[in-house]
Amino acid sequence: MGILLFITVLLIAACGLIYELIAGTLASYLLGDSVLQFSTIIGCYLFAMGIGSALSRFIHRGLAYRFVWIELMLGVIGGFSSALLFLAFAYTQGFQLLMYAVVVAIGVLVGLEIPILMRMVRERYQFRDVVAHVLTFDYLGALGASLLFPILLVPRLGLVRSAMLFGLINVAVALWSTFLFAKQLPSTQVLRVLCVVVMCGLGVGLAQAKRITAAAEDNIYADEIILARDTRYQHIVLTRFKDDIRLFLNSHLQFSSRDEYRYHEALIHPGLSAIATPRRVLVLGGGDGLAVREILKYPQVESITLVDLDPEMTRLFSTHPMLTALNQKSFLSPKVQIINADAFPWVDSNTDNFDFVVIDFPDPTNYSLGKLYTTAFYKAAARHLSAQGLMVVQSTSPMFARDSYWCIVETLKQAGLKTYPYHVYVPSFGEWGFVIASTHEYTAPTLLPAGLRFVSVDGMASMFQFPPDMSPMNVPANRLNDQVLVRLYDQDWKDISH
Amino acid sequence: MKVSRRKFLQAGSAALVGLSIKGDRPIAGGFVNDSFQLGHQLRDRAAFPSARNVEKHAVVIIGGGIAGLSAAWRLHKRGFQDFVLLEMNQQPGGNSRWGENEITAFPWGAHYVPVPGPKTTYVRELFEELGVLKDGVWDERALCFAPQERLFLYGRWQEGIEPAIGLRENERDQFRRLEDLIHRFRASGGFTIPMERGLSQSHVDLDRISFGEWLKTQGMDSRILDWYMNYCCRDDYGAVASETSAWAGIHYFASREPEEKGPLTWPEGNGWIVKRLLERVSAFVRNGHLVHRIRRTGKGFGVFCGETEYQAEFVIFTAPTFLAPYVIEGFGSLRDFEYSPWLTANLILERLPLSYGSDPTWDNVVMTSPTLGYVDAMHQSVRSHIERTVWTFYWALADGSAAVNRQLLLEKDWNYWKEAILRDLERVHPDIRQCVSRIDVMRFGHAMARPKPGAIFSEGRRRLAKLEGRLLFANSDVSGFSIFEEAQYRGVRAAEKVLQEMGGARG
Repeated sequence: MGILLFITVLLIAACGLIYELIAGTLASYLLGDSVLQFSTIIGCYLFAMGIGSALSRFIHRGLAYRFVWIELMLGVIGGFSSALLFLAFAYTQGFQLLMYAVVVAIGVLVGLEIPILMRMVRERYQFRDVVAHVLTFDYLGALGASLLFPILLVPRLGLVRSAMLFGLINVAVALWSTFLFAKQLPSTQVLRVLCVVVMCGLGVGLAQAKRITAAAEDNIYADEIILARDTRYQHIVLTRFKDDIRLFLNSHLQFSSRDEYRYHEALIHPGLSAIATPRRVLVLGGGDGLAVREILKYPQVESITLVDLDPEMTRLFSTHPMLTALNQKSFLSPKVQIINADAFPWVDSNTDNFDFVVIDFPDPTNYSLGKLYTTAFYKAAARHLSAQGLMVVQSTSPMFARDSYWCIVETLKQAGLKTYPYHVYVPSFGEWGFVIASTHEYTAPTLLPAGLRFVSVDGMASMFQFPPDMSPMNVPANRLNDQVLVRLYDQDWKDISH
Repeated sequence: MKVSRRKFLQAGSAALVGLSIKGDRPIAGGFVNDSFQLGHQLRDRAAFPSARNVEKHAVVIIGGGIAGLSAAWRLHKRGFQDFVLLEMNQQPGGNSRWGENEITAFPWGAHYVPVPGPKTTYVRELFEELGVLKDGVWDERALCFAPQERLFLYGRWQEGIEPAIGLRENERDQFRRLEDLIHRFRASGGFTIPMERGLSQSHVDLDRISFGEWLKTQGMDSRILDWYMNYCCRDDYGAVASETSAWAGIHYFASREPEEKGPLTWPEGNGWIVKRLLERVSAFVRNGHLVHRIRRTGKGFGVFCGETEYQAEFVIFTAPTFLAPYVIEGFGSLRDFEYSPWLTANLILERLPLSYGSDPTWDNVVMTSPTLGYVDAMHQSVRSHIERTVWTFYWALADGSAAVNRQLLLEKDWNYWKEAILRDLERVHPDIRQCVSRIDVMRFGHAMARPKPGAIFSEGRRRLAKLEGRLLFANSDVSGFSIFEEAQYRGVRAAEKVLQEMGGARG
């Protein structure tokens, strides 16, 4: 019986530690700041164990009976802890409260285990042997658990199934304790049936764990993530839901494959179709190749120069089959030259002329990006325009960021350009704005490439009309020494989100 | 070889310990551009060689800082060629010297010029010539990019250096009252740049007390206001408010009313202006030329430098004026000229450190620090993505005696200053040691004139400022304080004076 008893100690010690590690890891995954999470969880857990040990003195009789019950309860709470916490994070606001409650509950139960067990066997051994053996196996179990957890359990089983597996072990300990301590138990039948029932429950949970995590993650991320990459410059995430592929850069939506044609047709065709003989085109930003796809619809265009900061981005959109299907392998066209460079210094140092300049940068969310929306930048970009040249600028939403939109228009004006603001509706973005700018008069085209799905000659006039709720605002221009746009943009989005 | 069990264990644990210590990045660097050795040769009246050659020029300019280069610029612009500029250091520029590395250019000293007002005509003329001011519009790229400045206080950054958060009502009131007072001083017309244009006897009382005392007499006792006033005095004069003339303290605020969001700045600071000036006059500039004696002769002056005597009709002395008694024969003693010791350092950063969630700015000041904070050389870059950069760290040793601080500058080794700088920056950038790969330190014993009470209305100063005779003093310290506009003004005025006299003599 000796060795079996000590194996019991070893197992329950391992179970206790595993639950604690699971809670810490889960909190780190979901909330970040792993140092804080692990520290507070270990602290709570050890403190709760202390409470458990203190409470053990109030248990006078029926030690074995209560021990089996403790094991059963640990099996249930610990076993389902991980699944419960995942679902709580996904569906409720009270994740942290529940997490600490679970940690404390497990801690109290684990704190009760060892003192009760030691008292149960004290008649059989000398006191000093009991202490020595029980504690030895207790610590051995902890060592085993702490090694198993990162090496085998997390990578092979995941957090949800690891918890259930160790829940099963706890219940198994309960079951075999009914044999081990049969003499000290009033009746074993009911306990054994209970143990089997709980084991079945945990077994089903183990088998269905995938569905539990899937249900939870579905609620955390709207769609399935098919690619996530941290490059030197940004965080790229691609998601897919059925046939909808979405690109996020630093958590900002760049396009949805369901309606990006509206955005990119509107970005390119009103400008490019208005140029008599467009031969050379410059695209600044636009590393997804979707604007280039539209530009390639003009056979007269001989060369397209694309300047995008992030080589990882242009490489992805040149090679990933799902993405090249979207941009119709536009980057593989021999007309396209890709330059990975910072746009402002490139525009400063390059001397080429272009018939059409597309400026398609992320929104001005910070001062670094804001530099690309200044009078200084537009002056530098305008120096690249040929005699028939036009420039088009993606300019955020005239609906949700109305001040920002008209600030960009004003900035282009202050850079000495004539401006032609227009807007379209892109379902995944809402109302979206662009500005055509040039040194000469612009007239809307009367002929467009065949096969467009959104932009049409008849519909174009309405794009240049702004209803009263999007009409011009009196805002200053954005300058390098006074980036009003970044502040306006921040304020605009704050206003609509609250 | 048989390894004993004990040895094995020792080696093993040593390896484990070694692995567990996370090393800070090794930091290279040293002292650069030291020039006190040359100055001490003059002070100690070291033996210099006697002259073997003679060169004749109508004008000799001594010193290649902003004042000397501005004098040269003016002479050259007026078509005058018969002059030479002698600069002691290998690199001209004085307090506007700069450095360059593979990341960026960066300043060693003066790093900005406030957007000049309409009275600062010579500076406006220069900036028009350099294309910084075109048809009344300042070049956007020369104006400091947004966001310009931030101050760290109460454990967070605020935008702007004037404390704006956490003020009590009575403190707000004091800031408002001070602003009103400054507004009145500004309206009086007595506080201008250049200072000479407005200097008025009616403000002589303000020069008799310290700025600190003046603030007290106005009932300004806010600790936050006191910090800000001291910061401004340290920044422009290298002195604390209790050692700055109240006139100078008021001038700092009352002399400027910018018409545009500035200041004007460049990655290399005012070194950019030095470069542009050198493009025009470098043919006249001789570096590494320490003038050790100036002697009056029948017709003019003998200027002794190395083994050459430069014979000149006019001398424009733009070196710091405190050197005059050591160099000019019969000069006598100099009173009312005091100087502040400074230390600047350039730090190469392999990446930007953590910054408590604030956007990086150009000028970064920490309220609890005795230093003036740092300026980011890459801030004025148009790049959107910046990884490596250079920070210029400014430290006016304003507290305590200047002599003791000068001694400290000389005695302490590079490691001492490196640690002091890193510890200072750790207040706001806890991981700074993992970001910095190099720290070069520059020591200035006499960096800038310190306008103590009495310095502005001092007889000695005003006599030198008059530009009498043929030995013309034009360092900015002749204005009582060292700022770009004063240096340029004095240089240009000296050149104008020479041209006027010679035109008269030769006309």
